[in-house]
Amino acid sequence: MAPKVDLSTSTRERCVTGIQGLDNALDGGIPRGNTILVTGSCGTGKTTLSLEFLVHGALDGETCLFISVTEASSKLLTNIIPYDFFEESLIKKGKLIFVDMPVVYERLGLNKLEFSLEEVDVLVRAVADIVKEMDVKRLVIDSITSVCYRLRTQEKIRDFILKIGATLSSLGCTSVLVSEISPAEERYSLFGVEEAIADGIIFMGNLERRGDLLRTLQVVKMRGTQHSRTKYVLDLTSAGVLLVPLLKGGSVAGG
Amino acid sequence: MSVTTNVAEKLLTLPESSAVALQIRAEHYFDVIRGILDNFAVKKELDSIYITSTIPSQSIVNALQVLEIDMSNIYFVDCISQIMMSMASKHEHTIYVESPTMLENLMLKVEYLTKRTEGKNDIIILDSINSLAIHNNTKILSEFLHLLVNNLRAKKAYTVIFSMEEYRSEDISNMLNIVVDETIVAAGE
Repeated sequence: MAPKVDLSTSTRERCVTGIQGLDNALDGGIPRGNTILVTGSCGTGKTTLSLEFLVHGALDGETCLFISVTEASSKLLTNIIPYDFFEESLIKKGKLIFVDMPVVYERLGLNKLEFSLEEVDVLVRAVADIVKEMDVKRLVIDSITSVCYRLRTQEKIRDFILKIGATLSSLGCTSVLVSEISPAEERYSLFGVEEAIADGIIFMGNLERRGDLLRTLQVVKMRGTQHSRTKYVLDLTSAGVLLVPLLKGGSVAGG
Repeated sequence: MSVTTNVAEKLLTLPESSAVALQIRAEHYFDVIRGILDNFAVKKELDSIYITSTIPSQSIVNALQVLEIDMSNIYFVDCISQIMMSMASKHEHTIYVESPTMLENLMLKVEYLTKRTEGKNDIIILDSINSLAIHNNTKILSEFLHLLVNNLRAKKAYTVIFSMEEYRSEDISNMLNIVVDETIVAAGE
């Protein structure tokens, strides 16, 4: 009798995003402990996707943390799509936590336009302390680009992302760093450093095809798993983010 | 036997997950719709998702109201009203797609509605392959049909694709033959 062949590609534990199409593309989810970059220009659905990742985690009983850098979390909460599966009790029970980064800056005395290397360490420690104290298993920082504006140099950005990635991973926390780029950008992050250090990159964009503007998503890189590299079209709905493969049909210009 | 009854009876012989092409003459259009939505779907207790790229969903809703068909389990994905600038009133069971060229968005809206109606089996009516062929080339339309039908089969849904007899072409026949299990000609006896 021929020996059984195991076709599974990885034994690493997965952090199931709960976004069915994305989990399929990732062969089951994000490898637990990875730090990934969700990158794209404005209006492509980065924040919505990241929020849904957290909501599903919270529904599964994990403590999930959203660190809002650019927008007050109270405003964010009123603006998010009212998911059919969202339960307000997740916030009351402390399973879904929102923290405003400007408040963290203020408490740490980091009210400056540019941080030093020591201050980068202080910031990483502060985030790690919150994650440790609350046993956070999923973290989103929206956006890392806004934090990087205060770091300015590539050296400090590299230092910050390496340290935060390593610290969160050691705590078993899977993290999503939201990165903003301009539509014409030919790289996946504004400073060019974030993309090289992250364990994974999910690129979200707008694709114009014969006058139609389609929201797209593509997993460019994901360490620790085999993954699809095809481009998907997505829809942001009250049932969550839905994905279908982009149709090629020989008619895609620049797709 | 009337066209309405005939269509419903032929559909009732099919197993779930079936995909059929329904060849229709324009004069039988509303009889066929009635046969599917009022007779077949009601008997099988299915939720109906009606993709319209031929006429605005509001015209179909109006016709269904005249025919006194219960619309509580019928949902529309309308990809023609916006492009025709004819969205005077929005029906609560209708989702709009900007253009019939946004085929991925059609699939996404169907996916959304099948998620919303989870627990019940669905029938998806695509009205029609001919009108979609006006706006899309054969390659992309074939790819769309292939993905849509196989996705719906996996959900154990019925798929009915309207093909208007007056606009039949070899391209359309070939496209349908690849994805459907059967072609039914809608006619009375």
